[in-house]
Amino acid sequence: MQISRYRGTVDGLSRSLIPLARLPVILITVAALVFVLLRVLPLDPAAMLLSPNATHEQSTQMRQALGLDRPIFVQLWLWIRDASRGDLGQSLQFDDSVSSHILHALPVTLQLVGCGLLLGIVLGVASGVLAFHGRNTPLRGALDLLNGLALAIPEYLWGIVLILVFGITLKMLPFYGQIDPRFQVPSRTGLLLFDSVLAGDGAALGSAAAHLLLPATALAMSIAPPLMRVLYSSLDQAFDQEYVHYGRLRGLSERRLLVHHALRNAWLPVVTLMGVQGGLLIGGTLLVESIFGLPGLGNLMIDAISSQDLPMIQGVALVYALAVLISNTCVELALVHLDPRLRSL
Amino acid sequence: MSVAVAFGWRVKWASGYWLMLTLIALFAPVLAPHSPQMQDLAHTLQPVAWLPGGNWHFPLGTDVLGRCQFSRLLFGSRVVVLVAFLAALGSAVIGTTLGLLAGYFKGWIERSIMFVVDVWMAFPAVVLAMLLIVALGPSLGNVVLAIILVDWTRFCRVIRSDTLQLANQPYVLAARIAGASQLSVLCRELLPGVLPTLIVLCSLQMGSAIVAESILAFVGMSVGPAEASWGAMIAQGLGYAFSAPWLVLPPIIATVSAILASIMLGTGLRYAARTTSSRRVSREPER
Repeated sequence: MQISRYRGTVDGLSRSLIPLARLPVILITVAALVFVLLRVLPLDPAAMLLSPNATHEQSTQMRQALGLDRPIFVQLWLWIRDASRGDLGQSLQFDDSVSSHILHALPVTLQLVGCGLLLGIVLGVASGVLAFHGRNTPLRGALDLLNGLALAIPEYLWGIVLILVFGITLKMLPFYGQIDPRFQVPSRTGLLLFDSVLAGDGAALGSAAAHLLLPATALAMSIAPPLMRVLYSSLDQAFDQEYVHYGRLRGLSERRLLVHHALRNAWLPVVTLMGVQGGLLIGGTLLVESIFGLPGLGNLMIDAISSQDLPMIQGVALVYALAVLISNTCVELALVHLDPRLRSL
Repeated sequence: MSVAVAFGWRVKWASGYWLMLTLIALFAPVLAPHSPQMQDLAHTLQPVAWLPGGNWHFPLGTDVLGRCQFSRLLFGSRVVVLVAFLAALGSAVIGTTLGLLAGYFKGWIERSIMFVVDVWMAFPAVVLAMLLIVALGPSLGNVVLAIILVDWTRFCRVIRSDTLQLANQPYVLAARIAGASQLSVLCRELLPGVLPTLIVLCSLQMGSAIVAESILAFVGMSVGPAEASWGAMIAQGLGYAFSAPWLVLPPIIATVSAILASIMLGTGLRYAARTTSSRRVSREPER
């Protein structure tokens, strides 16, 4: 969609550069928007740091230290300048920099997004192919019905339903925290699964994986149902093409036609869909983390909001936007790479 | 020209659901056995009526403060109905206006509108909604406003691409040659053209708005704790999921059914719009 606007204006090679060139412009605007939005607040960060009986002088000093006495455009400029160096300011609730908290929380969220994405693609593709393979059997109707129901349940309700079923009723899986507190895994990458592999601790790896299974499934359910739909209709279109008829005439089995021929061409709409769903997936982690008690960006954001820690809210929101922008750009580049029609026009 | 639109079972069921929910919301004070705020501290955490220990005085049991869950569920429908209709209407108005302008005038108007859309799309919707609530303060009106300000981009994108196609249709060009003003082309020719898409988007948006409100209520950024809201009931019930699982199930079922109804309405209307327009096309040679 993005790309089509530039069709005919640039040659194929530089088309892949356009999404990259847009990135900083949008990011700076996003940063400015976040900043302005939170400056409308009737809150005074200086007053929150001081004791209630602080003198006027102390308050003025604090405002100067925080830079609140300068014009808003100067504050905005300073914030963007510092943010581009990775300095997102000091947290108001912790005596610590915002970036250090974000760096601690980011791997947790990334691990969740990665596993959720993987699981979602597997579930979506499997159910789509299965439904198409059994398109003349009752299986299709059953999968369609499930799909309609799954579409109506947002990922955070999936999280709660999974907790109720697998955590509380069946008592099969843990549903709070990242890992059993018995295990101590030295943090190297911050990605708990990798860390426990690096530490060579099989039991810890098992515990971490078990703790991740339910939240990742909840997140996966936000992309699997639309994925199944898109894949089904794109397989349907592929099967109308001549090459499938010829394949059938050559005596290829239905299964081979489906997996080796049609599925290859059905991938494109799936990647396009990922571009649309990327933001949804990243946003979905926020509530999933809060429900499953994972110490990621989402919990950081909700904590910061409840304690009105403005620099933290700004920082986390910016990181979320950056994550969405990067994921969208990757999908656009992947599309240009995958679809020759977008390259040479 | 009157066109008989054949609505399928989806539209009938879904509109029936919304009619029922609206009536429940309107007559909640009459239907509810108790006030949603009334606390009966002698009867806290009562199970649902048909389980041992429950009685029909509190059909769906009580929460930790002894508030009647059934009454709170009924009153919670008011929030859902208000949010669904107002948020869908508001984002439709903003998104359609900007989408029409972008698709019709093109040039710098389109570029600047679509740049704003791109900036907006950089945020996960939940994050932007939360930021807006932090800035505006939590209240029902602000929740509706936040959802409108987040979700107008969905309308804008789709309506713009529809308008781009429509603007080259012969009837629109004819209207321009006939000397219609820009405003009249926009309102009389293009707006009716995008109307079928708009109606489908609106009903889907009702579902998204319900999800958004539910998420904000879940993290305590919607109506206050005394007011009944399904999202807040889910959050509260989750805390007692071990001892009182009946607290969390009814609001989940209610929320999912409302989202399902709005998706069904959207899908059904899309089918209806498709059959209607194809019939209109096939009839044309006869005239």
